[in-house]
Amino acid sequence: MKRTLALLLVAVVAVALGAPAFAQPDTLEKIKSTGVLTIGTRTGSPPFAYVNKDNQWVGFTIDLVEMLVKPSVEKAVGKSIRIEKKESTPPTRIPLLTSNAVDLIAGTMTDTAERRQSVDFSLTFFYTGAQFLVKKGSPIHSVNDIGGKRIASQQGSTNAKIIREKYPQAQLREFPDQPAAFQALAQGQVDAYTNDGIQLAGLKAKAPNPNDWEVVGDFYSEEPYGMAMRKGDAKFKAAVDAGLKNGFESGKYFEIYDKWFGAKGEVPYPLTPQVKAYLLKQVGK
Amino acid sequence: MSYSFKWSVLWSGQSGHWLLQGLLTTLELSALAWLIAVALGILSGALRTVRFTPLRWAAVSYVEFFRNVPLLVWMFFWYFGVPPLLPRAVQDWLFNHGAEFWAGTLALGVYHGARMSEVIRSGIQSIPRTQFEASVAMGLTTFQAYRLIILPVALRLIVPPGTNESLNLLKNSSVALTISVAELTFQTRQIETYTARAIEALTAGTLIYLVLCLSIATIMARVERRFAIPGLIARVEPAG
Repeated sequence: MKRTLALLLVAVVAVALGAPAFAQPDTLEKIKSTGVLTIGTRTGSPPFAYVNKDNQWVGFTIDLVEMLVKPSVEKAVGKSIRIEKKESTPPTRIPLLTSNAVDLIAGTMTDTAERRQSVDFSLTFFYTGAQFLVKKGSPIHSVNDIGGKRIASQQGSTNAKIIREKYPQAQLREFPDQPAAFQALAQGQVDAYTNDGIQLAGLKAKAPNPNDWEVVGDFYSEEPYGMAMRKGDAKFKAAVDAGLKNGFESGKYFEIYDKWFGAKGEVPYPLTPQVKAYLLKQVGK
Repeated sequence: MSYSFKWSVLWSGQSGHWLLQGLLTTLELSALAWLIAVALGILSGALRTVRFTPLRWAAVSYVEFFRNVPLLVWMFFWYFGVPPLLPRAVQDWLFNHGAEFWAGTLALGVYHGARMSEVIRSGIQSIPRTQFEASVAMGLTTFQAYRLIILPVALRLIVPPGTNESLNLLKNSSVALTISVAELTFQTRQIETYTARAIEALTAGTLIYLVLCLSIATIMARVERRFAIPGLIARVEPAG
């Protein structure tokens, strides 16, 4: 008994001392040795990342990774790689990143100063703002009408935080993910669902009866989307940013944008001149 | 790059308040669900042992139907599946008065009622049939025999598995976060998303559940010793 206890103690001390040796290698090294870039992305956020009618996992952000980020990372590691997709949701995406389960979060994550304390963001690849999705004919027209009403949101989103802090008179109901929140709206458990405007437009477009729904309200917050990665990984960030920069300069980004948000895209959402200028300004144009 | 711990997030800002609120909601949810589960468990557990076939089959169907479907599915059923069947006015009133809490309580209570039922049934069936025959011989009706003789003995016999099921109920209350009930695990994740400190937040949640369950288990161990019926159990007495 004493001997087992002593052995156990030695094992614990060995692991504790050896822990620094297990500090993770940088991401490009990891990708080089495994040949896989694992991304965390959404399954229920059309048209950014979702499972379509033919059961394929596709989307705008997924295309950005496949067509812009992948070639750049391949160039950085010097060999061809494979993309593996894992599901991530607002409550789980930062833990997935810090636990090394994924290397890049490529979904609908808003770049905020607060989040930059724990993760690094790539260049902004989309720009939208928070609004509300309501049933047609609802009395809610903007963020000032939500007092006393039941509002659904996703736990961990910037929208939930703003409603909670700036509009406490609204009754906030936080769900783990978008499908549950939308279902609550459809059945009347809540009066409105708040999320970024473009995601609401995507939900409305994919709903069985799009005309039953309205996206209302001016943007009550600014939501620039970026791809998140582990903090301090400068080489990997450089590779991801280089891929996006290439896309902006060569025009490939705008082709992908048109595929999903153009007139014939899944969710028509024209790129305003201001947003286009903002995106190009990031790469010095 | 290695993880840097920052334990102060657990008590700075809103975190302490959230954890407390979450704990209270978990306790409320579990207590109410436990009452429902014990009531349903005793009723259906006893009914499964009577001779009268229709009642026995009712109890069997209840148990088999409810315990063989995952709790998560039941949460969605009670929150999304049941309200559309009610009149619109009732629905509106419910949604404004914590529908998700009641859906969670019912889902938890009815599911665990089915599981408790099996535990109580095994307690009843471990009592020799002679006890029941003696009660009837003394002139008690079946209902009186169960109420005065069988159930009091059975409930004292099943304290260990009953405690196990009750602790399971407490821990399963965390499934309610999927229908937006702000219980302890929900609040743990809330801290995680606001501070990005996953390990600290999860440690807090883990410790609170652990302390809660260990306290209940210790109290129930005392209860078990106090209410044990000497002639009916095989126990190895501690030396001295």
